[in-house]
Amino acid sequence: MKIAVCIKQVPARDWQPRVNESRTWVRDEDAAFEMNEPDAYALEEGLRLKGRHGGEVVVCSAGPSRVSHVIREALARGADRAIHVESDGAASADAFEVAGALAEAMSGESFDLVLTGLQSDDQGFAQTGVVLAERLGVPHATIIMEVKVDGGALRVKRELEGGWFQWVAMPLPALLTIQSGINQLRYATLKGIMAAKKKDIRKVAASGAHRSRQRIVNLYAPKKTKQTQLIGGTPAEAARELVKRLRDEARAID
Amino acid sequence: MLSALVLALLVVLFGGLFVVQLSRRLLLVGRAKGTLRTDHVPARVSRFLREVVFQSEVIAGKPAVGLAHALVFWGFVAFVGYSGCQFLKGLGVVDLTGTSSFHYYALALAPFALGVLGGIIFLVIRRVVFRPEALGPLSGESVLIGVFIATLMITFLLDFRLTEGPAAAVNWWLHLIIILVFLALIPGSKHFHLVLSPATVFLKSPVLGEVRNLDFEKEEVGLETLADLEKKQVLDAFTCVECGRCQMNCPAYATGKRLNPKKMILQNEDALLIGRMDAKLVEVYDPGVLWQCTTCGACEQQCPVGVEHLPLILGARRGLVSNGEAPDALGAMYNHLERRGNIWGLTSDVRQKFVTSAGLETFDPERHEYLMWLGCAGSYEADFQKALRSLFEILRARQVTFGVLAKERCTGDLAKRTGNEYLFQELATANIADFQAAGVKKILTACPHCLKTLSEDYKPFGFDVEVQHSVVLVSKIAGDLRLPGAEAVALHDPCYLARYAGHTKEPRDLLARAGAVVKEPERSGDNPFCCGAGGGLLFEEHEEGTRISQRRFEQLQATGAGTIVTACPFCSIMLKGAQASANAITQVVDLMTFVDGRIKSAAAAAPPPGARPASLQPVP
Repeated sequence: MKIAVCIKQVPARDWQPRVNESRTWVRDEDAAFEMNEPDAYALEEGLRLKGRHGGEVVVCSAGPSRVSHVIREALARGADRAIHVESDGAASADAFEVAGALAEAMSGESFDLVLTGLQSDDQGFAQTGVVLAERLGVPHATIIMEVKVDGGALRVKRELEGGWFQWVAMPLPALLTIQSGINQLRYATLKGIMAAKKKDIRKVAASGAHRSRQRIVNLYAPKKTKQTQLIGGTPAEAARELVKRLRDEARAID
Repeated sequence: MLSALVLALLVVLFGGLFVVQLSRRLLLVGRAKGTLRTDHVPARVSRFLREVVFQSEVIAGKPAVGLAHALVFWGFVAFVGYSGCQFLKGLGVVDLTGTSSFHYYALALAPFALGVLGGIIFLVIRRVVFRPEALGPLSGESVLIGVFIATLMITFLLDFRLTEGPAAAVNWWLHLIIILVFLALIPGSKHFHLVLSPATVFLKSPVLGEVRNLDFEKEEVGLETLADLEKKQVLDAFTCVECGRCQMNCPAYATGKRLNPKKMILQNEDALLIGRMDAKLVEVYDPGVLWQCTTCGACEQQCPVGVEHLPLILGARRGLVSNGEAPDALGAMYNHLERRGNIWGLTSDVRQKFVTSAGLETFDPERHEYLMWLGCAGSYEADFQKALRSLFEILRARQVTFGVLAKERCTGDLAKRTGNEYLFQELATANIADFQAAGVKKILTACPHCLKTLSEDYKPFGFDVEVQHSVVLVSKIAGDLRLPGAEAVALHDPCYLARYAGHTKEPRDLLARAGAVVKEPERSGDNPFCCGAGGGLLFEEHEEGTRISQRRFEQLQATGAGTIVTACPFCSIMLKGAQASANAITQVVDLMTFVDGRIKSAAAAAPPPGARPASLQPVP
């Protein structure tokens, strides 16, 4: 099975983000970067599927040259080769632009299965996978918890709201967006790191045909606010009201 | 003439047997990878004198047995010239035995002979009658060699009385033939240590548990097969004297696990002699044993013949980890180290909260003498942070200046000790760059594992600054601390503080000043029984046999003290876990918390109005 895994390089969680002067993105020149966490689980799932069904895993990433760091990391963990779509703008672009650039680079490969993380830790659109499926002309399913390959078709478990799940049968080729935490990530081994040095990274320049449709007009950190509400009535009524609001408004209880 | 010819034939026969067996083993050493290191000559010579010439390790581990062995050893050395002269005489080369100096030499040997005789009889009785478990099943060969040695001494002593006649000739021949047969038996038996152990002891690293860094340029990945063993490790396999001291002192073996350090060394020997060079090491040993080692270092420290177990166990772990074969719990921990730089995978804001609430300043070489290294436990473990707050109070009261790095990542202790060498080197080089950028000259840490890693394991990277454990510094600066009291406390020496760094005096000194009476548990001081956390076992959920922490907790409880004091975050976690499982009332506290608590209660008890207690006065 020929599997593609799309990974994004995002600022590390430990990094304290600061907004740039035009308030359109973070000042990431001094940031530490890491592999987007849901993408790490997508990669792991791809490697496990390859382990069970054979084939190859190709990692695809769009971004500036620093992205090669997460590409090497993915290769060290066991991916066979990589496609790097070189684009300085991709780091802060919208899902439409990133998915378009990825689709262009991936079009000649005819992958059986494309995996992406559910969403990115920085922008969090949860759209790149969905738009990419559309661009590649394959069906997709989102928020995937489990993947089973049965002959030429898939059975996948989706996470719904409120603790519900659903199993979906779908044909191959297909695209899945993977939920975090569905498997146990492997660590980078010394042999993998050594082998990664010899693996092929195909560099593709983004054509620039897909421009972002969205524009960030104001980026800001949420303000910490405190609100106090007084609930009146008898103690029993107040308690009922409190429980109701904790459940419906604060969603602190089920 | 005929007798000289017969003796010459015997010498060629038995000497030949010795040489053939010897060269087979030395060839295996020679063909093995790596080099035999002879750096730090003064330290090596000093160890050689102590451990070989004066038999210090042999005697310290087991005084009666050790002394008996020392008598046999010194006797052997003393007899070399005597036996040499007898052979020269027998072969008709030169007869020195008639000279007066030989006569005095022989007379001087008499007390040695009596010592050897007494020693060997004691050792044979111990082996045959008492059969200590560590020695394994009774070996006929050992008894035979015991009888040989005794006979050699008896024939020597008889030689004073039997000067002429057939009895004298039989006595003389018996003496020489036993020497020759013994010689031929040496290389194939544990008595090979007679030949090899002086070299093995000299070649043992002066630093306990030193595991050489892998060279990634040479594509080194650790020990995978028998062919990957390094020269010293092959030498170790042939040197092992099978005394079982490593086994006796191993906390894993003591708690019913399969790991037996002695067995591993002997399994190497067997596999090497069979020539299974392509056998995977993990298959040479019993299943799972490589992951049962806490790296407490007791085996290597107690070995009287210079065997190094830690480079073998950690090297074999590297061979597995490099292939992605680490246990699941460690795999998850590696991910935490890779992504978050700490063993628990927590985000740095947790550390930042502690740094802010404890009022810690960012290190500035102009204003701070010490860099306070928090480590994973200090940054993320709430319980240990209480101990650190106590430490900070004591340091501030004595006007010690210290600051912390804005960001920290794990020293790499667990990566090193579990065989993830790549991760270790990544962490080490990044940390060293941070230290150098911050202008750090002196490091203070409350974690014995960080102490070992920063002070010893960072040296190969050219990083060599003063690293101190907080207990050592506090015992130094608290010279005027004198608190009344006689509270009984059991002290648990952390392996990485007591065995690795040798700090056994400081915690006792500090406890005495704080008004405590130290109750020593079984296995204390520089040969403590491990808490069970080291070497990645902190993350082990299911221990085979009894939990090591439970066994240690029971030993500490048996002192009768109501409080157990220790000075390591990992010992604390393990002992507190054991305390909770046992539902015991014995409390476990960090030494700093204990001392700080004593200072405060003394201050609260009787402060003269308006005056500060003497113990809190800054030292001028």
